[in-house]
Amino acid sequence: MSVGSELLVDSESTVDSIEVVGDDVTARSPTELFWRRFRADRVAMISAIFIIVLIIVAIAAPLVVKILGLPGPNVQDPNALDAFGSPTGPSGAHPFGVDTLGRDILSRVIYGARVSLLVGIVGTLIATLAGTVIGLLAGFYRGWTDTVAMRVVDVFLSFPVLVLGLGIGAACSVRGCLGGVITPGIVTVIFIIAILSFTYIARIVRGQVLSLREKEFVDASRALGASNRRIVFKEILPNLVAPLIVYSSLLIPTNILLEAALSFLGVGIQPPTASWGQMIADATPIFNTAWWYMVFPGAALLLTVLAFNLVGDGLLDALNPRGTRS
Amino acid sequence: MRNTARAAIIAVIGGLLAAVVAACGSSSSGTSSATTANIPLKPGENPVGQTLYGKTKGGALTVYSSEDFEHLDPGESYFVQDYAIDYATQRPLFTYPPNSSNTLVPDLATAMPTTANGGITDGGKTVTVHIQPNVKFSAPVNRAVTSADVAYAIERGANPNVANPYFISYFGASAPTPLVGTTSAKYAGGPIPGIQTPNPTTIVFHLTKPGASFLIQALSMPISMPVPESFAGPLDKKAPTTYGTQDLVATGPYMLKSDSTGKFAGIGYQTGKSATLVRNPNWNASTYSQLYHPPAYLDNININIGGDASVIGQQVLKGTHSVQLDTPAQSVVKLAYQTYPSQITFTTGAGDHYVAVNNSAGPFKNANARKAFWAALDRNAIVKARGGPLVAQPMTHFIYPGLNGFQQSGGYPGPQVDYNKNPNGDMTVATKYMKAAGYSSGKYSGNATVQIVGANNGNDPAIIQIVNNALTGLGFKTHVSEVDQSVMYAKYCGVPKQEIDACPTVGWVRDFADPLTLLYVPFYGPSIVPTNNSNWGQVNDPQINAAMQQAALVNDPNQRAQAWANVDKMLVDQAVAAPEEFDNQPNIESKDVAGVNQLWDIGQWDFMFSSLK
Amino acid sequence: MTTYILRRVLWGIVLLFLVCLLTFILFNVLPSADPAQLRAGRNASPAIIAHIRHELGLDKSVLEQFWVYITNIFLHFNFGYSFYSGQSVISLIGDRLPATLSLTVGAVILWLLLGIPIGIISAVRRRTFVDRTAMGSALFFVSMPIYWLGLIVLFLFASDIGKFPILPGANSYVGITTDAGKWFTSLLLPWFVLAATQAAIYSRLLRGSLIETMSEDYIRTARAKGLPERRVVWKHGVRAAVTPVITVLALDIGALLGGAVLTETVFDIPGIGRLNYDAIIHSDFPVVQGTVLLAAMFIIVANIVVDIAYAYLDPRVRYS
Repeated sequence: MSVGSELLVDSESTVDSIEVVGDDVTARSPTELFWRRFRADRVAMISAIFIIVLIIVAIAAPLVVKILGLPGPNVQDPNALDAFGSPTGPSGAHPFGVDTLGRDILSRVIYGARVSLLVGIVGTLIATLAGTVIGLLAGFYRGWTDTVAMRVVDVFLSFPVLVLGLGIGAACSVRGCLGGVITPGIVTVIFIIAILSFTYIARIVRGQVLSLREKEFVDASRALGASNRRIVFKEILPNLVAPLIVYSSLLIPTNILLEAALSFLGVGIQPPTASWGQMIADATPIFNTAWWYMVFPGAALLLTVLAFNLVGDGLLDALNPRGTRS
Repeated sequence: MRNTARAAIIAVIGGLLAAVVAACGSSSSGTSSATTANIPLKPGENPVGQTLYGKTKGGALTVYSSEDFEHLDPGESYFVQDYAIDYATQRPLFTYPPNSSNTLVPDLATAMPTTANGGITDGGKTVTVHIQPNVKFSAPVNRAVTSADVAYAIERGANPNVANPYFISYFGASAPTPLVGTTSAKYAGGPIPGIQTPNPTTIVFHLTKPGASFLIQALSMPISMPVPESFAGPLDKKAPTTYGTQDLVATGPYMLKSDSTGKFAGIGYQTGKSATLVRNPNWNASTYSQLYHPPAYLDNININIGGDASVIGQQVLKGTHSVQLDTPAQSVVKLAYQTYPSQITFTTGAGDHYVAVNNSAGPFKNANARKAFWAALDRNAIVKARGGPLVAQPMTHFIYPGLNGFQQSGGYPGPQVDYNKNPNGDMTVATKYMKAAGYSSGKYSGNATVQIVGANNGNDPAIIQIVNNALTGLGFKTHVSEVDQSVMYAKYCGVPKQEIDACPTVGWVRDFADPLTLLYVPFYGPSIVPTNNSNWGQVNDPQINAAMQQAALVNDPNQRAQAWANVDKMLVDQAVAAPEEFDNQPNIESKDVAGVNQLWDIGQWDFMFSSLK
Repeated sequence: MTTYILRRVLWGIVLLFLVCLLTFILFNVLPSADPAQLRAGRNASPAIIAHIRHELGLDKSVLEQFWVYITNIFLHFNFGYSFYSGQSVISLIGDRLPATLSLTVGAVILWLLLGIPIGIISAVRRRTFVDRTAMGSALFFVSMPIYWLGLIVLFLFASDIGKFPILPGANSYVGITTDAGKWFTSLLLPWFVLAATQAAIYSRLLRGSLIETMSEDYIRTARAKGLPERRVVWKHGVRAAVTPVITVLALDIGALLGGAVLTETVFDIPGIGRLNYDAIIHSDFPVVQGTVLLAAMFIIVANIVVDIAYAYLDPRVRYS
């Protein structure tokens, strides 16, 4: 599906194009240049501001809901349903209408941002960390370490993405799993996302490290008697920072979509916690009579993912200015 | 006791329903009267007075069903939808005519066994049934049905390859009045010592206890539909049996379209796609008693399986020659009621739903905590979530409308205990019982997290959230899980070891009009088993158990109803579960269909009596 | 070269085995329900459940079960029987594969027809209004949750419930052999939805690749020779730029053939993705295993095809 193939697309198409970074010869550090270029990109900056606002709204959700004069996300109101138990549409009291329990949809959309952002960002961070470690080890030590690591990555990549997610989700959804380490709900979803996306980072980092370790400055450092640890932390890692920021920022929207898809299929976030994907799933059986229940959570999801994609694109352009994207 | 859908009966007159609805409206707080609109049934929507005979003969009916059938073998089926085919194609010993919810009549049998006609002897421990001599099986068996075929049908219920779901509870070791020989540890399937067939038209049942009344009612279930051993025997040796998945023979007016060898798979039934009923050429309309004779007006019944419920509902309402078999979507009920009122029927007494709470472990081991939960639960919100007062009423006790004993145990208002009085949820009363349970603040102050596991289909998720709301309102920390219904039973609610505290999406549908079928399996202590348990709340109260044992042996109809009403009262006094709602079943038909609802089960269309206009 | 291909294929088989093992572990160590109980139905006695457990071979040790499973596959090409319906996994997959195949083929054609021209025009008219609009909308569709787009499209255009009822909606799929016309119209909406998100990805990919190619020296040489621009773009540019697109295409086809769970769910198409999803939800392990293996096989084969194609096209790829 689209979620899976997107991962493949990016990892396949962009591994080679990053090699430019290391030998950028200017007085400014590459990272500094990178930020200057990013700030010049207006669309990306607007998107970044949107994301920041969204994060603030998510963190301050109780306050925002209170200011807007809305009921909380779990306040049920049977009186907001008609005599046949069907939800009512947008009105003054409920700008986005109500769901099948008479809960305010705007309020739930606001709280849903919490889940999407938390899962998208934390899941990506964990995946990035794990992928970096594995990719570094594989690329730096090569030999059998590399073979084993890449074969493991191969196995994960051969698995249909959603199937693996569904399997873990179904298994951990009630009592948790792995001896209770993975608790049901958000932790399970983050775990699934980390498992599914670390491979992508691991491959990129490995490619980078393989080429970096052949560069003159690494050779020089080695000739001066630097330890492996020093080479990794002082020479290689700093050069990985910018590409890691770019690629993990591109992973965030993919992961937000993945969380929503898992929740849509019923194995992600468990109710009553509001999640956009789960709201869309809830709306599916009644979408021809209660369009508002489907439209608003979906639009929130679309805008958020779009904003992250625009920022990611901007970062990529900034990293690779002579490249192909602008 | 089937749980997936609702069972049926019509006992309610529009006025009674309206009164209940009005009561809900007036007792709800303040502004609610406007939206809890009073929508009583209009004339023609309640099928109590439906005409059964004298209609147009011939034609084909198209039946839509978004849900597939589960088992077409009468020995296995236990799902209302399967019953629609079972009863149109097979003949049980006894049956309910479609317009009666609680009066049995002979079908394959020649008469109802009584003490007077010698059918019940030995103080109620022996039942003798004579069967119609000229009923023939369809091809390839093509011979007259004998009492041995009925004996084999029941005996195969104990065959693991058939996996009959209720043999054990109604006829075997854990039945209230088991057949002789089934309780011995040595019995492992095969001929049952308690069933004898002295001649081809006589079958005699011997019980270990005097439970004739119960046995006769239980013989209305599909397990009593005859199965020829010569044909099914070899198939039943396979695990699972292929009788009913590949091959089948019929005794009723219709049969699944089959080839000359009896094979119907791929011909009269395609999994997930369609089922086709045609007339059974070996059926003889004169092989019935005076009390019951299905007219079988239709020539063909073509069942389309699959599709979104809201879409097929509109096809039926706007189309011709069609009905919907499963429950119409909420939006379709609304559309039908407002725009096509003559094309929708509602049958009351189509089952119930309640929250099974764990009586044996966790915070709800305490009866006062259970009463607090009962009081706190907003049953009117649940009624709304199920689709409003047309399809549900607040549940107030455990014997539901249409069953013998319903009026004796309180009727619609139910017992007037304080935790039952206010269906909107009463926090004052709830707080009182929480204090009585030892939580001095009136809120739960323990450390336990309440595990809630419910099903994720239809409007069940909404019910789960209403239940969750009530629990968090009482101060409980909760963890909610929504899973597939089969997984909910197989892994969580049906496994006592899992110690699930609340199962909010369980319910019960009677198997026949006896209140025992509602209360015995889900609330009788000795019925608790380690897996596939149906006493989800693990209710095991010695006094209640003893009262059930006694009530099971009462044979006089009125005394029996009273005895079970007393059991119901004990269940309410102990608040063994938190009631949600009594179900009504909506059914829809095209304008040119004269549908007949069978009121004894859940009110779905009866193919033997329905016709085209 | 032959040894390279051989090695890739061998590793592919090992991968399949590992995927099989992983699925087995996932569903046996972390089972979501007891299959014997599911099979037995409700109210079955413990004796019946034990009997069924024995029939299904679930009373054997996990290792033994795995061994039986693997030998059945490799020696008898037997993938077992559904715990739920009792049908053989092979026949279930055989029933569902045509739908998934139809969905994939149509969607691929549609998204290439959309994505390639847009990508080329955007690259050629780089930084113009056309380019910005095209790439803006591409990013919009990349960000779109596919099931949501599906619901919106049904809400608008489905013949049964839509506001502008013009095309068959959900659950209208019929096999191509039953009625080719209905088959085609019933798949138009799913094809469009699936193609919309994919075309967006492809146009972005092709545009990037083409811009890169067009800055290569040999393009400059071609232009210097005075070739018309159209010829330069088509003959030299697109030809080279399309290689990465083909790579991704092969991988995407591989992934899609394993089942498009979300699209199949929204449009109620009886394909492999739906089969797999239902099996997971019902803990129907043999079907899960069968569909996972099928999907993994498609992905692995696609990867091998891509690698081998690369090895042929690009002599710099080392075979070692």
